[in-house]
Amino acid sequence: MSISEVDVSVSNQQLNDWVRDTKAHKNVYTDQQVFDLEMQRIWGRSWIFVGHESQVAKPGEFLTLDFAGMPAVMVRDKDNAIHVLHNRCGHKGSKLITKPCGKNARFTCPYHGWTYKLDGKLVGVPHQTGYEGTGFDKTDPQYSMQVFRTESYRGFVFATLDAKMVSLKEWLGESAITIDNLCDRAPEGEVEFAGGVLKFDHECNWKLFNENLNDTMHPMVVHKSVVDAANKYIATLPEDSPNRAEAEIIPPFGSSYEIFEESGITGFDYGHHYDGGKISIHSNYTVIPEYKEAMLKSYGEQRTDEILSYNSHNTLYYPSVTFKSAIQNIRVVRPISASRTIIETYSFRLKGAPESMLQRTLLYSRLINSNGSMVGADDLEVYKRVQKGLQSGASDWVEFHRNFGADKQEGKRVTNLGTSDLDVRTQFRAWKHYMIGAPLSGEAV
Amino acid sequence: MSSAELIVPITELLYREADFLDTADLDGWIELYTQDGTYWMPVTPEQEDPINHISLFYDDRTIMEVRRRNLNHPRASSKDLPIRCSHIIGNIRLQDDQSDGLLTVTSNFHCAMYADDKQELFAGKYTHQLVQVDDQWLIKNKRVDLINCDAALGAIYIYI
Repeated sequence: MSISEVDVSVSNQQLNDWVRDTKAHKNVYTDQQVFDLEMQRIWGRSWIFVGHESQVAKPGEFLTLDFAGMPAVMVRDKDNAIHVLHNRCGHKGSKLITKPCGKNARFTCPYHGWTYKLDGKLVGVPHQTGYEGTGFDKTDPQYSMQVFRTESYRGFVFATLDAKMVSLKEWLGESAITIDNLCDRAPEGEVEFAGGVLKFDHECNWKLFNENLNDTMHPMVVHKSVVDAANKYIATLPEDSPNRAEAEIIPPFGSSYEIFEESGITGFDYGHHYDGGKISIHSNYTVIPEYKEAMLKSYGEQRTDEILSYNSHNTLYYPSVTFKSAIQNIRVVRPISASRTIIETYSFRLKGAPESMLQRTLLYSRLINSNGSMVGADDLEVYKRVQKGLQSGASDWVEFHRNFGADKQEGKRVTNLGTSDLDVRTQFRAWKHYMIGAPLSGEAV
Repeated sequence: MSSAELIVPITELLYREADFLDTADLDGWIELYTQDGTYWMPVTPEQEDPINHISLFYDDRTIMEVRRRNLNHPRASSKDLPIRCSHIIGNIRLQDDQSDGLLTVTSNFHCAMYADDKQELFAGKYTHQLVQVDDQWLIKNKRVDLINCDAALGAIYIYI
């Protein structure tokens, strides 16, 4: 299946003109026609994050989601296979399930009672006598719930509407290192979804959120107020006050340009990239002794050190999900319109680790990513101001020149300083690939 | 003290807290809380746990202290515009069980919040756990259950 063709007046030539090596036209952030094309050509082709297998741990369990504007459901069938289906009745188009999650033996439409198995196959049509001799065939696949092409990597489920897309593993390429690192941080080598989901409505284009993930020129400016507030309060505490977990989390957001510069950005094909690697703003967290012990028991000293010393800040699997392996949380991007995006935050339990690890993850998610976060509110504020500014006309271009010309291509990897705009250039290279068929790897966008 | 006698000072405390929030005065607000006080806004209805489950807010004194310093910081861009609220509190009920030395009070609230050039309406239920220190009632724990806590909300700029 695929997203239906969109009837728009934007030409490929215009799309090509609007995204250059070091700048993008404001229309790519504000124009609803461009957004509709993005849904079709990027979100309808790329591997899009759906959920984690542990969210549907038992047969019959399901969760619903918005998949590039289409209602979808991820479900585990009675043979333990996971399916991602179009959450829509094959009869008249009604959405079948509205609950965010639950458990069912089958899906039944609330309108005329058409019934589907957990793999989406239509099995029940009431009062069939009226169909005799009409040419209607219940077994025709068009009347079943449509099936998305689905693959998973270490429990993380992705789907694509493009039958010709390369495999998930090839699409992830070397950038899979962050998913691997997240799972390897579990003494048992596996993670599970835990502690619920945060949903955060962002009045901005989805690309503004993604471009901020590894924009290391913003934290010391945007988050100065909360870093100052935290430092001022910490200064009032007595010397011997125990190292508060909160105190570790907030101040690194005020790290210097030099520290961020050193962290480095690495870009990959298909728009994936991360900031950090050896160091990041998460490098200096205290290692909980019971956790270290469990890791040493599973992996031995050398491998444990290897795993815990991998410190990327955000790894974006373009366009739909960003991972923080050192924190064990991810954020999921669900675009709604050219100027609206829902961001969801999920936290993960490291299997075999003490519960205090999950508690720290949740503390981080709450302090940094929740609707009540002082950090997140100021990020959202600048996205909103950019969105409004770009909609207002005047200058046509958004620039991303920083360290252009110094992007170092090594095979399928591109590296540059942490403070460079390589992250934005990497995303727009993928954008042009999906939108107008530009090549993936190469010297210039 | 009987419930009938307690209802007057307790109602007064809830109204005072609402007054501080209406004028975005977190310096005054924080004084109504004990040093080990908490402010909790769950993200799911009937959520049991603020530690092993994510929440919209779960502030201890440390975060309350950071938040009150952040609110009026000149570089907190999401708070450049003044925040004004109007709280209406009703259906105030004192719970019978005071065995742990805490008095539990439930109430309903509507809070209209004008922040960042936009007005929003929040509604739900408060659960306050109060403790008497000397002659004064203080807030030990406050739980705020929004009726739409599990919706995709925007930023919440100040305590409700």
